[in-house]
Amino acid sequence: MTLIQKHILGLLVLLSTLNLTACVEVRAWEKGYLAKEEMAWNPDILEDALAKHIFFSKEASSGSSSAAGGGCGCN
Amino acid sequence: MSKRSVHNKIKKRYSRSILALSGTALTLSSMSYADAPPTQSTVSIKSTNYQEDDLLSNEVLFGELSRYDIDVHQFQLVTPVTRNSSLQVNGSYDSLSGASPWFTSANSEGEPIVNLSGASGIYDTRRELSIGGSYYLENETVNLSIGRSAENDYNAAFINFGFTHQLNNRLTTIGVNTSISNDEIFPTDAEKFNRIKSASKRSVSTALSISHIINRFSAYQTAISVTNQKGFLSDPYKLRDVRPNSKSQYAWTNSFRIFFEKMDAALHSNYRLYHDDFGIGSHTVDFSWHQNLSTYIPFDLRFVPSIRYYTQSSANFFTNIDDFSSDPLAPQSSDYRLAAFGAISAGINFIADLNNLRITAGGERDQAKSKYSAYNVSRPSTALVRFSRISIGFDFSY
Repeated sequence: MTLIQKHILGLLVLLSTLNLTACVEVRAWEKGYLAKEEMAWNPDILEDALAKHIFFSKEASSGSSSAAGGGCGCN
Repeated sequence: MSKRSVHNKIKKRYSRSILALSGTALTLSSMSYADAPPTQSTVSIKSTNYQEDDLLSNEVLFGELSRYDIDVHQFQLVTPVTRNSSLQVNGSYDSLSGASPWFTSANSEGEPIVNLSGASGIYDTRRELSIGGSYYLENETVNLSIGRSAENDYNAAFINFGFTHQLNNRLTTIGVNTSISNDEIFPTDAEKFNRIKSASKRSVSTALSISHIINRFSAYQTAISVTNQKGFLSDPYKLRDVRPNSKSQYAWTNSFRIFFEKMDAALHSNYRLYHDDFGIGSHTVDFSWHQNLSTYIPFDLRFVPSIRYYTQSSANFFTNIDDFSSDPLAPQSSDYRLAAFGAISAGINFIADLNNLRITAGGERDQAKSKYSAYNVSRPSTALVRFSRISIGFDFSY
Protein backbone atom coordinates (compact mmCIF):
# COMPACT_ATOMS: atom_id res chain seq x y z
CA MET A 1 0.00 0.00 0.00
CA THR A 2 1.48 3.37 -1.03
CA LEU A 3 1.62 6.42 1.21
CA ILE A 4 -1.22 8.10 -0.69
CA GLN A 5 -3.43 5.00 -0.44
CA LYS A 6 -2.78 4.93 3.32
CA HIS A 7 -3.83 8.58 3.57
CA ILE A 8 -7.03 7.95 1.60
CA LEU A 9 -7.86 4.91 3.75
CA GLY A 10 -7.32 6.96 6.91
CA LEU A 11 -9.62 9.66 5.60
CA LEU A 12 -12.35 7.18 4.74
CA VAL A 13 -12.18 5.79 8.29
CA LEU A 14 -12.41 9.33 9.67
CA LEU A 15 -15.39 10.16 7.45
CA SER A 16 -17.17 6.96 8.42
CA THR A 17 -16.66 7.81 12.10
CA LEU A 18 -18.08 11.27 11.57
CA ASN A 19 -21.07 9.88 9.70
CA LEU A 20 -21.84 7.53 12.60
CA THR A 21 -22.08 10.52 14.91
CA ALA A 22 -24.06 12.56 12.41
CA CYS A 23 -27.51 11.40 13.45
CA VAL A 24 -27.92 13.73 16.45
CA GLU A 25 -30.77 16.20 16.14
CA VAL A 26 -29.67 19.76 16.99
CA ARG A 27 -32.47 22.26 17.56
CA ALA A 28 -32.14 25.92 16.58
CA TRP A 29 -31.75 27.00 20.24
CA GLU A 30 -28.96 24.49 20.71
CA LYS A 31 -26.72 26.09 18.09
CA GLY A 32 -25.19 28.66 20.44
CA TYR A 33 -21.69 27.18 20.37
CA LEU A 34 -21.86 26.59 16.63
CA ALA A 35 -22.83 30.24 16.16
CA LYS A 36 -19.70 31.49 17.91
CA GLU A 37 -17.42 33.31 15.55
CA GLU A 38 -14.46 31.05 16.33
CA MET A 39 -16.54 28.13 15.00
CA ALA A 40 -17.06 29.69 11.55
CA TRP A 41 -15.50 27.96 8.55
CA ASN A 42 -13.59 31.20 7.83
CA PRO A 43 -13.63 33.49 10.88
CA ASP A 44 -11.44 36.12 9.18
CA ILE A 45 -12.31 36.58 5.49
CA LEU A 46 -9.39 38.93 4.69
CA GLU A 47 -6.87 36.63 6.40
CA ASP A 48 -8.30 33.63 4.58
CA ALA A 49 -8.13 35.41 1.20
CA LEU A 50 -4.54 36.52 1.79
CA ALA A 51 -3.34 33.12 3.00
CA LYS A 52 -4.93 31.43 -0.04
CA HIS A 53 -3.29 33.97 -2.34
CA ILE A 54 0.15 33.45 -0.78
CA PHE A 55 0.03 29.66 -0.90
CA PHE A 56 -1.47 29.75 -4.40
CA SER A 57 1.55 31.74 -5.55
CA LYS A 58 4.18 29.62 -3.73
CA GLU A 59 2.80 26.11 -4.21
CA ALA A 60 1.38 24.18 -7.16
CA SER A 61 -1.92 23.32 -5.48
CA SER A 62 -5.10 25.33 -5.24
CA GLY A 63 -8.77 24.67 -4.66
CA SER A 64 -11.09 24.75 -1.67
CA SER A 65 -14.79 24.81 -0.84
CA SER A 66 -15.16 27.94 -2.96
CA ALA A 67 -14.21 28.40 -6.57
CA ALA A 68 -10.96 30.18 -7.39
CA GLY A 69 -11.14 33.93 -8.06
CA GLY A 70 -9.03 36.00 -10.40
CA GLY A 71 -5.55 35.00 -11.44
CA CYS A 72 -2.35 36.90 -10.90
CA GLY A 73 1.06 37.12 -12.50
CA CYS A 74 2.50 35.31 -9.51
CA ASN A 75 1.69 31.80 -10.75
CA MET B 1 -18.87 50.48 43.52
CA SER B 2 -20.25 53.82 42.29
CA LYS B 3 -23.48 54.12 40.32
CA ARG B 4 -21.57 55.29 37.26
CA SER B 5 -19.18 52.32 37.24
CA VAL B 6 -22.11 49.88 37.68
CA HIS B 7 -23.92 51.64 34.84
CA ASN B 8 -20.81 51.48 32.62
CA LYS B 9 -20.34 47.81 33.39
CA ILE B 10 -23.98 47.01 32.52
CA LYS B 11 -23.72 49.14 29.36
CA LYS B 12 -20.54 47.34 28.33
CA ARG B 13 -22.08 43.92 28.92
CA TYR B 14 -25.27 44.99 27.07
CA SER B 15 -23.23 46.26 24.09
CA ARG B 16 -21.29 43.00 24.01
CA SER B 17 -24.56 41.02 24.07
CA ILE B 18 -25.92 43.03 21.14
CA LEU B 19 -22.64 42.52 19.30
CA ALA B 20 -22.68 38.84 20.12
CA LEU B 21 -26.22 38.52 18.79
CA SER B 22 -25.43 40.39 15.59
CA GLY B 23 -22.27 38.34 15.34
CA THR B 24 -24.39 35.23 15.72
CA ALA B 25 -26.38 36.15 12.63
CA LEU B 26 -23.16 36.66 10.70
CA THR B 27 -21.39 33.57 11.96
CA LEU B 28 -24.40 31.32 11.56
CA SER B 29 -24.31 32.46 8.00
CA SER B 30 -20.66 31.51 7.66
CA MET B 31 -21.19 28.24 9.55
CA SER B 32 -24.05 27.08 7.37
CA TYR B 33 -23.41 29.23 4.31
CA ALA B 34 -27.10 30.06 4.04
CA ASP B 35 -28.83 32.13 6.64
CA ALA B 36 -29.61 35.71 7.57
CA PRO B 37 -28.13 38.79 5.90
CA PRO B 38 -25.80 40.98 7.95
CA THR B 39 -27.61 43.27 10.38
CA GLN B 40 -24.92 45.93 10.44
CA SER B 41 -22.23 47.33 8.20
CA THR B 42 -18.60 46.35 8.71
CA VAL B 43 -15.53 48.04 7.29
CA SER B 44 -12.32 46.01 7.47
CA ILE B 45 -8.77 46.97 6.63
CA LYS B 46 -5.67 44.86 6.95
CA SER B 47 -2.00 45.53 6.21
CA THR B 48 0.58 42.79 5.82
CA ASN B 49 4.29 42.68 5.19
CA TYR B 50 5.47 39.51 3.45
CA GLN B 51 9.22 38.93 3.32
CA GLU B 52 11.09 36.03 1.73
CA ASP B 53 14.49 35.10 3.14
CA ASP B 54 17.53 35.99 1.04
CA LEU B 55 19.28 33.17 -0.75
CA LEU B 56 22.82 32.33 0.37
CA SER B 57 25.66 33.41 -1.89
CA ASN B 58 26.72 29.77 -2.43
CA GLU B 59 23.20 28.99 -3.69
CA VAL B 60 23.27 31.65 -6.41
CA LEU B 61 25.55 32.00 -9.41
CA PHE B 62 24.10 35.21 -10.81
CA GLY B 63 21.77 38.04 -9.77
CA GLU B 64 20.31 39.52 -6.63
CA LEU B 65 20.24 37.47 -3.43
CA SER B 66 17.22 39.23 -1.98
CA ARG B 67 13.85 37.74 -2.94
CA TYR B 68 10.35 39.16 -2.75
CA ASP B 69 9.35 41.75 -0.21
CA ILE B 70 5.65 42.54 -0.56
CA ASP B 71 3.35 44.97 1.24
CA VAL B 72 -0.33 44.08 1.00
CA HIS B 73 -3.18 46.41 1.96
CA GLN B 74 -6.69 44.96 1.95
CA PHE B 75 -10.08 46.58 2.31
CA GLN B 76 -13.58 45.16 2.70
CA LEU B 77 -17.04 46.62 3.17
CA VAL B 78 -20.02 44.41 3.96
CA THR B 79 -23.31 46.20 4.35
CA PRO B 80 -27.00 45.29 4.36
CA VAL B 81 -28.98 46.78 1.47
CA THR B 82 -32.50 45.53 2.16
CA ARG B 83 -33.85 43.01 4.67
CA ASN B 84 -32.94 40.24 2.24
CA SER B 85 -29.82 41.47 0.53
CA SER B 86 -26.33 42.71 1.19
CA LEU B 87 -23.47 44.31 -0.70
CA GLN B 88 -19.79 43.44 -0.46
CA VAL B 89 -16.86 45.45 -1.82
CA ASN B 90 -13.30 44.14 -1.66
CA GLY B 91 -10.10 45.87 -2.63
CA SER B 92 -6.41 45.21 -2.30
CA TYR B 93 -3.18 46.92 -3.22
CA ASP B 94 0.15 45.05 -3.28
CA SER B 95 3.58 46.54 -3.91
CA LEU B 96 6.38 44.12 -4.63
CA SER B 97 10.15 44.29 -4.98
CA GLY B 98 12.91 41.70 -5.10
CA ALA B 99 14.30 39.07 -7.42
CA SER B 100 12.91 35.85 -8.86
CA PRO B 101 14.63 32.70 -10.21
CA TRP B 102 15.53 33.18 -13.90
CA PHE B 103 17.10 29.87 -14.81
CA THR B 104 19.01 26.99 -13.22
CA SER B 105 22.37 25.54 -14.17
CA ALA B 106 24.99 23.17 -12.75
CA ASN B 107 27.93 24.30 -10.64
CA SER B 108 31.48 22.90 -11.02
CA GLU B 109 30.44 19.79 -9.05
CA GLY B 110 27.37 19.18 -11.23
CA GLU B 111 24.98 20.33 -8.49
CA PRO B 112 22.00 22.52 -9.46
CA ILE B 113 22.44 26.23 -8.80
CA VAL B 114 19.94 29.02 -9.27
CA ASN B 115 20.37 32.24 -11.25
CA LEU B 116 18.11 35.05 -10.16
CA SER B 117 16.67 37.88 -12.24
CA GLY B 118 18.95 40.89 -12.95
CA ALA B 119 20.74 43.00 -10.38
CA SER B 120 18.05 45.67 -10.57
CA GLY B 121 15.42 43.19 -9.37
CA ILE B 122 11.66 43.41 -10.00
CA TYR B 123 9.23 46.15 -9.00
CA ASP B 124 5.53 45.71 -9.51
CA THR B 125 2.18 46.67 -8.06
CA ARG B 126 -1.12 44.83 -8.06
CA ARG B 127 -4.54 46.40 -7.61
CA GLU B 128 -7.69 44.35 -7.23
CA LEU B 129 -11.28 45.46 -6.83
CA SER B 130 -14.38 43.31 -6.67
CA ILE B 131 -18.00 44.05 -5.93
CA GLY B 132 -20.71 41.56 -5.15
CA GLY B 133 -24.16 41.08 -3.76
CA SER B 134 -25.98 38.39 -1.84
CA TYR B 135 -29.70 37.67 -1.77
CA TYR B 136 -31.13 35.67 1.11
CA LEU B 137 -34.23 33.49 0.94
CA GLU B 138 -35.60 31.36 3.74
CA ASN B 139 -33.28 28.43 3.03
CA GLU B 140 -31.22 29.65 0.12
CA THR B 141 -28.55 32.24 -0.53
CA VAL B 142 -27.45 33.49 -3.95
CA ASN B 143 -24.15 35.38 -4.41
CA LEU B 144 -22.78 37.11 -7.47
CA SER B 145 -19.57 39.11 -7.69
CA ILE B 146 -17.36 40.55 -10.40
CA GLY B 147 -13.82 41.83 -10.11
CA ARG B 148 -10.71 42.93 -11.83
CA SER B 149 -7.03 42.90 -10.92
CA ALA B 150 -4.26 44.82 -12.67
CA GLU B 151 -0.49 44.57 -12.50
CA ASN B 152 2.14 46.31 -14.61
CA ASP B 153 2.26 43.27 -16.89
CA TYR B 154 -0.88 41.27 -16.02
CA ASN B 155 -4.64 41.85 -16.04
CA ALA B 156 -7.39 39.56 -14.85
CA ALA B 157 -11.17 39.93 -14.95
CA PHE B 158 -13.34 37.48 -13.07
CA ILE B 159 -16.93 36.65 -12.19
CA ASN B 160 -18.11 34.42 -9.37
CA PHE B 161 -21.52 32.86 -8.76
CA GLY B 162 -22.55 30.96 -5.65
CA PHE B 163 -25.71 29.23 -4.44
CA THR B 164 -26.43 27.46 -1.15
CA HIS B 165 -29.42 25.53 0.07
CA GLN B 166 -30.20 24.37 3.60
CA LEU B 167 -32.06 21.15 4.26
CA ASN B 168 -32.51 18.50 6.93
CA ASN B 169 -33.89 20.96 9.50
CA ARG B 170 -31.07 23.35 8.64
CA LEU B 171 -28.45 20.87 9.77
CA THR B 172 -27.08 20.34 6.28
CA THR B 173 -26.08 22.92 3.69
CA ILE B 174 -25.18 22.15 0.10
CA GLY B 175 -23.40 24.73 -1.99
CA VAL B 176 -22.19 25.24 -5.52
CA ASN B 177 -19.76 27.92 -6.58
CA THR B 178 -18.46 28.76 -10.06
CA SER B 179 -15.80 31.22 -11.07
CA ILE B 180 -14.51 32.29 -14.49
CA SER B 181 -11.34 34.31 -14.89
CA ASN B 182 -9.89 35.76 -18.11
CA ASP B 183 -6.23 36.70 -17.73
CA GLU B 184 -3.84 38.54 -20.02
CA ILE B 185 -0.08 38.81 -19.70
CA PHE B 186 2.12 41.28 -21.56
CA PRO B 187 5.69 40.81 -20.24
CA THR B 188 7.96 43.79 -19.78
CA ASP B 189 11.10 44.00 -21.93
CA ALA B 190 9.56 41.43 -24.29
CA GLU B 191 11.67 42.39 -27.32
CA LYS B 192 14.89 42.84 -25.35
CA PHE B 193 14.70 39.32 -23.88
CA ASN B 194 12.81 37.63 -26.74
CA ARG B 195 9.76 36.98 -24.56
CA ILE B 196 6.25 36.45 -25.84
CA LYS B 197 4.67 39.89 -26.39
CA SER B 198 1.25 39.05 -25.04
CA ALA B 199 -0.78 35.97 -24.21
CA SER B 200 -3.97 34.99 -22.45
CA LYS B 201 -5.50 32.20 -20.44
CA ARG B 202 -8.95 31.31 -19.15
CA SER B 203 -9.71 29.55 -15.87
CA VAL B 204 -13.06 27.98 -15.04
CA SER B 205 -13.48 26.67 -11.53
CA THR B 206 -16.43 24.90 -9.89
CA ALA B 207 -16.76 23.76 -6.29
CA LEU B 208 -19.45 21.61 -4.70
CA SER B 209 -19.67 21.52 -0.92
CA ILE B 210 -21.70 19.84 1.81
CA SER B 211 -21.64 21.14 5.39
CA HIS B 212 -23.25 19.21 8.20
CA ILE B 213 -23.81 19.98 11.87
CA ILE B 214 -22.83 16.84 13.74
CA ASN B 215 -23.97 17.87 17.22
CA ARG B 216 -24.13 20.97 19.45
CA PHE B 217 -20.36 21.28 19.43
CA SER B 218 -19.08 20.17 16.04
CA ALA B 219 -19.57 20.49 12.30
CA TYR B 220 -18.00 18.98 9.22
CA GLN B 221 -17.65 20.16 5.66
CA THR B 222 -16.46 18.34 2.56
CA ALA B 223 -15.99 19.87 -0.88
CA ILE B 224 -14.74 18.96 -4.31
CA SER B 225 -13.39 21.57 -6.68
CA VAL B 226 -12.43 21.23 -10.33
CA THR B 227 -10.47 23.92 -12.16
CA ASN B 228 -9.67 23.93 -15.86
CA GLN B 229 -7.11 26.32 -17.30
CA LYS B 230 -6.52 26.86 -21.00
CA GLY B 231 -4.08 29.16 -22.75
CA PHE B 232 -0.59 30.36 -21.95
CA LEU B 233 0.44 28.66 -18.67
CA SER B 234 4.22 29.10 -18.93
CA ASP B 235 6.33 31.66 -17.10
CA PRO B 236 7.55 34.16 -19.72
CA TYR B 237 10.21 35.55 -17.38
CA LYS B 238 12.14 32.30 -17.18
CA LEU B 239 14.84 31.65 -19.73
CA ARG B 240 13.50 28.17 -20.50
CA ASP B 241 9.93 27.44 -19.42
CA VAL B 242 7.50 25.50 -21.58
CA ARG B 243 4.33 24.06 -20.06
CA PRO B 244 1.28 22.41 -21.64
CA ASN B 245 -1.49 24.76 -22.82
CA SER B 246 -4.14 23.21 -20.62
CA LYS B 247 -4.34 22.05 -17.05
CA SER B 248 -7.03 20.35 -14.98
CA GLN B 249 -6.87 20.55 -11.18
CA TYR B 250 -8.89 18.50 -8.70
CA ALA B 251 -9.08 19.19 -4.99
CA TRP B 252 -10.98 17.43 -2.22
CA THR B 253 -11.13 19.43 1.00
CA ASN B 254 -12.39 18.37 4.42
CA SER B 255 -12.93 20.69 7.35
CA PHE B 256 -13.90 19.91 10.93
CA ARG B 257 -14.77 22.35 13.71
CA ILE B 258 -15.28 21.41 17.35
CA PHE B 259 -15.93 23.57 20.39
CA PHE B 260 -14.62 22.58 23.84
CA GLU B 261 -17.06 24.03 26.36
CA LYS B 262 -14.88 23.68 29.47
CA MET B 263 -11.86 25.24 27.79
CA ASP B 264 -13.90 27.92 25.99
CA ALA B 265 -11.92 27.14 22.84
CA ALA B 266 -12.46 25.81 19.34
CA LEU B 267 -10.30 23.51 17.23
CA HIS B 268 -10.19 23.91 13.45
CA SER B 269 -8.76 21.14 11.30
CA ASN B 270 -8.59 21.05 7.52
CA TYR B 271 -7.24 18.53 5.06
CA ARG B 272 -6.92 18.82 1.28
CA LEU B 273 -6.04 16.14 -1.26
CA TYR B 274 -4.99 17.56 -4.63
CA HIS B 275 -4.12 16.22 -8.06
CA ASP B 276 -3.55 17.81 -11.47
CA ASP B 277 -2.65 16.60 -14.93
CA PHE B 278 0.83 18.13 -14.75
CA GLY B 279 1.43 15.07 -12.55
CA ILE B 280 1.43 16.94 -9.25
CA GLY B 281 -0.28 15.48 -6.20
CA SER B 282 -0.33 17.11 -2.78
CA HIS B 283 -1.55 16.84 0.79
CA THR B 284 -2.28 19.85 2.98
CA VAL B 285 -3.23 19.60 6.64
CA ASP B 286 -3.65 22.46 9.08
CA PHE B 287 -4.84 22.95 12.62
CA SER B 288 -5.67 26.10 14.54
CA TRP B 289 -6.68 26.50 18.17
CA HIS B 290 -9.02 29.43 18.95
CA GLN B 291 -8.64 30.15 22.65
CA ASN B 292 -10.92 32.71 24.33
CA LEU B 293 -9.32 34.62 27.20
CA SER B 294 -12.23 36.87 28.20
CA THR B 295 -12.60 35.01 31.52
CA TYR B 296 -9.27 36.38 32.66
CA ILE B 297 -9.27 39.92 31.26
CA PRO B 298 -11.82 42.77 31.13
CA PHE B 299 -12.36 42.63 27.34
CA ASP B 300 -12.85 39.94 24.69
CA LEU B 301 -9.51 38.57 23.57
CA ARG B 302 -8.76 35.45 21.58
CA PHE B 303 -5.44 34.01 20.59
CA VAL B 304 -5.08 31.60 17.73
CA PRO B 305 -1.93 29.51 17.28
CA SER B 306 -1.87 27.52 14.04
CA ILE B 307 0.29 24.99 12.25
CA ARG B 308 0.21 23.80 8.64
CA TYR B 309 1.97 21.03 6.75
CA TYR B 310 2.08 20.85 2.96
CA THR B 311 3.76 18.40 0.64
CA GLN B 312 3.65 17.96 -3.12
CA SER B 313 5.14 15.72 -5.78
CA SER B 314 6.90 17.19 -8.81
CA ALA B 315 5.43 17.94 -12.24
CA ASN B 316 6.22 15.41 -14.97
CA PHE B 317 8.33 17.96 -16.82
CA PHE B 318 10.16 19.52 -13.84
CA THR B 319 13.93 19.67 -13.99
CA ASN B 320 16.31 21.23 -11.48
CA ILE B 321 18.95 21.96 -14.15
CA ASP B 322 17.62 23.61 -17.31
CA ASP B 323 18.42 21.67 -20.46
CA PHE B 324 18.91 24.15 -23.31
CA SER B 325 19.78 21.44 -25.82
CA SER B 326 16.38 19.71 -25.73
CA ASP B 327 13.46 20.32 -28.12
CA PRO B 328 12.45 23.97 -27.43
CA LEU B 329 8.75 23.04 -27.67
CA ALA B 330 8.96 20.09 -25.28
CA PRO B 331 7.51 20.82 -21.81
CA GLN B 332 10.26 21.67 -19.36
CA SER B 333 10.42 23.95 -16.32
CA SER B 334 12.77 24.53 -13.40
CA ASP B 335 10.15 26.55 -11.47
CA TYR B 336 10.60 25.54 -7.82
CA ARG B 337 6.79 25.51 -7.44
CA LEU B 338 6.70 22.46 -9.70
CA ALA B 339 9.33 20.56 -7.65
CA ALA B 340 8.67 17.93 -4.99
CA PHE B 341 8.96 19.49 -1.54
CA GLY B 342 7.35 19.89 1.83
CA ALA B 343 6.60 23.04 3.80
CA ILE B 344 5.87 23.68 7.45
CA SER B 345 4.18 26.86 8.67
CA ALA B 346 3.45 28.10 12.14
CA GLY B 347 1.58 31.24 13.07
CA ILE B 348 -0.20 33.08 15.83
CA ASN B 349 -2.95 35.69 15.82
CA PHE B 350 -4.42 37.86 18.56
CA ILE B 351 -7.98 39.17 18.18
CA ALA B 352 -9.30 41.85 20.54
CA ASP B 353 -12.94 42.94 20.52
CA LEU B 354 -13.46 46.46 21.87
CA ASN B 355 -17.19 47.07 21.40
CA ASN B 356 -17.56 48.13 17.75
CA LEU B 357 -13.89 47.84 16.97
CA ARG B 358 -11.95 44.65 16.47
CA ILE B 359 -8.16 44.58 16.25
CA THR B 360 -6.31 41.60 14.81
CA ALA B 361 -2.54 41.23 14.88
CA GLY B 362 -0.45 38.25 13.96
CA GLY B 363 2.45 36.64 12.20
CA GLU B 364 3.44 33.50 10.36
CA ARG B 365 6.67 31.70 9.45
CA ASP B 366 6.81 29.24 6.55
CA GLN B 367 9.76 27.10 5.53
CA ALA B 368 9.84 24.86 2.44
CA LYS B 369 12.47 22.13 2.17
CA SER B 370 13.02 19.06 0.03
CA LYS B 371 13.57 16.94 3.13
CA TYR B 372 10.09 17.81 4.44
CA SER B 373 8.53 16.10 1.41
CA ALA B 374 6.43 12.96 1.90
CA TYR B 375 6.99 12.23 -1.78
CA ASN B 376 10.12 10.96 -3.45
CA VAL B 377 12.45 13.86 -4.33
CA SER B 378 14.61 12.79 -7.25
CA ARG B 379 15.39 16.35 -8.39
CA PRO B 380 15.54 18.73 -5.42
CA SER B 381 14.98 22.40 -6.21
CA THR B 382 17.55 24.92 -4.99
CA ALA B 383 15.12 27.82 -4.96
CA LEU B 384 12.53 26.81 -2.36
CA VAL B 385 11.06 29.69 -0.39
CA ARG B 386 11.26 30.55 3.30
CA PHE B 387 9.08 33.49 4.27
CA SER B 388 7.72 35.45 7.23
CA ARG B 389 4.73 37.71 7.36
CA ILE B 390 3.25 40.03 9.95
CA SER B 391 -0.10 41.74 9.77
CA ILE B 392 -2.47 44.04 11.58
CA GLY B 393 -6.16 44.51 10.83
CA PHE B 394 -9.10 46.58 12.03
CA ASP B 395 -12.82 45.84 11.68
CA PHE B 396 -15.29 48.56 12.51
CA SER B 397 -19.00 47.76 12.74
CA TYR B 398 -21.78 50.35 12.81
